[in-house]
Amino acid sequence: MSFSLAHALTGLFWLGALLLLGGLARRASLWQQGHSASVSWLGLLAMPKRYFVDIHHVVAREPAVARAHVAAAGGGVAILLLSALNYGLMLYQGWLDVLLVLMAAVMLLGARMMQARRLQAPPRLSQGRWQVLPARLRLFALGSLLAAGLLFAGPQMGMAGQLIAVAALLMLALGGAELALGIGLGWPMKHAVAGLLHLAFHPRAERFAGKSSDLKPLNLAAGELGVAKVEDFAWNRLLSFDACVQCGKCEAACPAYAAGQPLNPKKLIQDMVAAQSRGTDPAYAGNPHPGREAAVVVKPGEDIVGSVLAAETLWSCTTCRACVENCPMLIEHVDTVVNLRRHVTLSRGEVPGKGSEALANLRNTDTVGGYPLAVRYHWAIDLDLPVLQPGDQTEWLLLAGEGAFDMRYQRALRALVKVLKAAGVKVAVLGAAERDCGDVARRLGDEAGFQRLAKANIATLAQYRFDRIVTPDPHVFHCLANEYPAFGGQFEVWHHSKLLEHLLARRAIPLKADATPLPPLTFHDPCYLGRYNDGFNAPRNVLKGIGIKVVDMQRSGRDARCCGWGGGAAFTDIPGQRRIPDMRMDDIRETGTGRVAVACPNCTAMLEGVVGERADVIELAELVAERLA
Amino acid sequence: MKIAVLVSPAVHPVSGRPCAGEADLAALALAQRLPGELQVWYAGAADDAALADYLARGAGTIHSLNLSPDSDVLSALGSALQGVDMVLCGARSGGGDGSGLLPYQLAEQLGAALLPDVLDLSKSDRQWRAVQALPKGVRRTLQASLPLVASVNPRAATAPGWSYARLQQGKIRRKAATGAALAPVVLEPSRRARALVAASKVSGHARMQGAIAGGDAKAAGVVVKQGDSVEKAQVVLDYLRQHQLVDF
Ligand code: SF4
Ligand code: SF4
Repeated sequence: MSFSLAHALTGLFWLGALLLLGGLARRASLWQQGHSASVSWLGLLAMPKRYFVDIHHVVAREPAVARAHVAAAGGGVAILLLSALNYGLMLYQGWLDVLLVLMAAVMLLGARMMQARRLQAPPRLSQGRWQVLPARLRLFALGSLLAAGLLFAGPQMGMAGQLIAVAALLMLALGGAELALGIGLGWPMKHAVAGLLHLAFHPRAERFAGKSSDLKPLNLAAGELGVAKVEDFAWNRLLSFDACVQCGKCEAACPAYAAGQPLNPKKLIQDMVAAQSRGTDPAYAGNPHPGREAAVVVKPGEDIVGSVLAAETLWSCTTCRACVENCPMLIEHVDTVVNLRRHVTLSRGEVPGKGSEALANLRNTDTVGGYPLAVRYHWAIDLDLPVLQPGDQTEWLLLAGEGAFDMRYQRALRALVKVLKAAGVKVAVLGAAERDCGDVARRLGDEAGFQRLAKANIATLAQYRFDRIVTPDPHVFHCLANEYPAFGGQFEVWHHSKLLEHLLARRAIPLKADATPLPPLTFHDPCYLGRYNDGFNAPRNVLKGIGIKVVDMQRSGRDARCCGWGGGAAFTDIPGQRRIPDMRMDDIRETGTGRVAVACPNCTAMLEGVVGERADVIELAELVAERLA
Repeated sequence: MKIAVLVSPAVHPVSGRPCAGEADLAALALAQRLPGELQVWYAGAADDAALADYLARGAGTIHSLNLSPDSDVLSALGSALQGVDMVLCGARSGGGDGSGLLPYQLAEQLGAALLPDVLDLSKSDRQWRAVQALPKGVRRTLQASLPLVASVNPRAATAPGWSYARLQQGKIRRKAATGAALAPVVLEPSRRARALVAASKVSGHARMQGAIAGGDAKAAGVVVKQGDSVEKAQVVLDYLRQHQLVDF
């Protein structure tokens, strides 16, 4: 009897393996719709490190779930490997059966923990097949446990043994179907295969070597105009969508979703899955884009935007990267949003709201607001700030950015210059030669406009000699530091928070000696300084350095909520239930400090634009200037 | 039906760079709504970059009559547009002299009817019916039969959004042309400046007194010195309500 059970297991194993391979082949044919991408096969070798280190960084933030996953997945993989040895290769060793029983117990435990979590599933989790997955996995684990146990100790069990064997085989077949058919039919276990391959062939492989948050340039000369159809994605981008486990962490972190704008990043990824699988996968069973139907109609051959995806969904995104930061499968939502936007902007020219006006202003005046370049430094007219002429030299070059046209932010800029002067920093500006950095153009999908500005700025900057650039605008900072290098612009750029931190640490800023203790305040992390560039500590150290205690909001640092400006969202202004800055102001109110420090001209404008009673919004430099001796 | 749209670069009011003119764009957009074979024409000395905005906003191909900057475009356009049924152009160009005269001169040269400052064009029987924009929002319907020239109001229609792909696909077909030398332009004010005369010769101080001093004068106002800001604001509000200047 045990002999035949063992053979049945061998058969089952190879049947499963064949089904899995067939399914993988089918899925791979879907990925092949995408265009080629330069990937390194060495990624396969790097996979374990990426799995255990990079993914761990993300999932460790939710330890209970991580433990359950370790048990279920670890147990499951061990079962498969052991079965491959013992039954696949027909070794039929008793001691392997013992190991199998042990691993099956571990998996059982893990699946049990997952099932318990499913009883009170947070709303961000998808239902449908995902809801029943833990039960199926339990079945598989139990089947393995019974079968291996039986084979080890069973020959003497007679009739009962036969019954158990049949039951175990049934369980294995039922539960194993989930594993074997997942990848082919787009069932939940698809994530295991696609997820591992995604780690190996990640479209942004450099993120495993360090921070990588820059958008990649389009080769406009070669006719690249963003993604219109599935075929315009790289194949490994299509693969990355299939890695999604529908955990909804992106959904929970997304400010646009919380504001009731028609964007749910999880659904966005699933829309891409629907588009590439032409709707053959099981229907999506999670939260829809707010205010929209969950069901999508896939019309093969049609553009994605306008069929599977509404344009408003795309334009709701603030590119805040909260989703990317939280995704356990390391999916890059912002890349996809911008790639789709590029098509809508470059090919169709359909940028909603004030977005197209901002782009026109950039084309015609090199400023977002349509201002004359000559007035950018009018606020500094009495500050004796040297304006560089070509060939001139300075230690620090200050780029004020678009905030220089805003009367409110001019106060912050004046404070910054005052502090830098007090600290004896040699700083100069470009005057009318400074153009917009192109951030808004790029996030709104106008890659052509961005590249024009980037190249023009790089050519301009080449005419001057300076050691470093300092800017209070995180968007200028991000563009120059991370996105200009692709166009040959190598600059050492500091955000002013870093310079202030540096100066305070060296005691270069003369501070009031008889410092009366200052009331605590809270700090709002700008996305493009924080999540984009890991600049979490510098602003906090500055506040500490001038003796102010920071009471952090619940969502701060890596989890900070966007102010709502980024990605041109303030221009496209897609309506929702609430406004994102209002929600951020609620976060600020919760701290009870009544004051919030900011380090970005756009956060300043968004938070000061909150109507009704609100906290005072003070720029970092202003706070330092107040403490000047 | 052959339709021709005339476009020319405007000067951006802030940066002075060439860009698309509002009225010409509206003419382009209006023409795209009409049935017929559409051709876009330009006459003058502008380079490709100056015409780029029109290509990016859906002009497709622009036929350019290359003229030296100091020559009149009229005769060149007039001969190029022979046989065209309908000519649309902006009511006034955003660059050059911007005199708005060209449509009139062109209509005369082509022997066509002129429909000035048009918001909409539609066909009724054999005729074309146009909605004309008059000052203060007044509208008037005009009718003409082909051939006709229509100068288009900037608010008539919106051209497709600016698209890089359309710019790349767009073409400018250039042809050399000649034209008479432009007559020198003499600028003069449209109305003779009138010397300003004060309505009353009383001094500013005296008028302020008249406005705020109590008493019998009609214009007399109230000076509120007592009370806090809320009470003072209440006085202002009462005044506004009394004179029905606010209705809450
Ligand atoms: S995209 Fe990432 S975070 Fe969002 S549901 Fe999928 S796996 Fe979770
Ligand atoms: S980048 Fe921010 S706004 Fe955009 S989808 Fe992700 S979380 Fe939402």
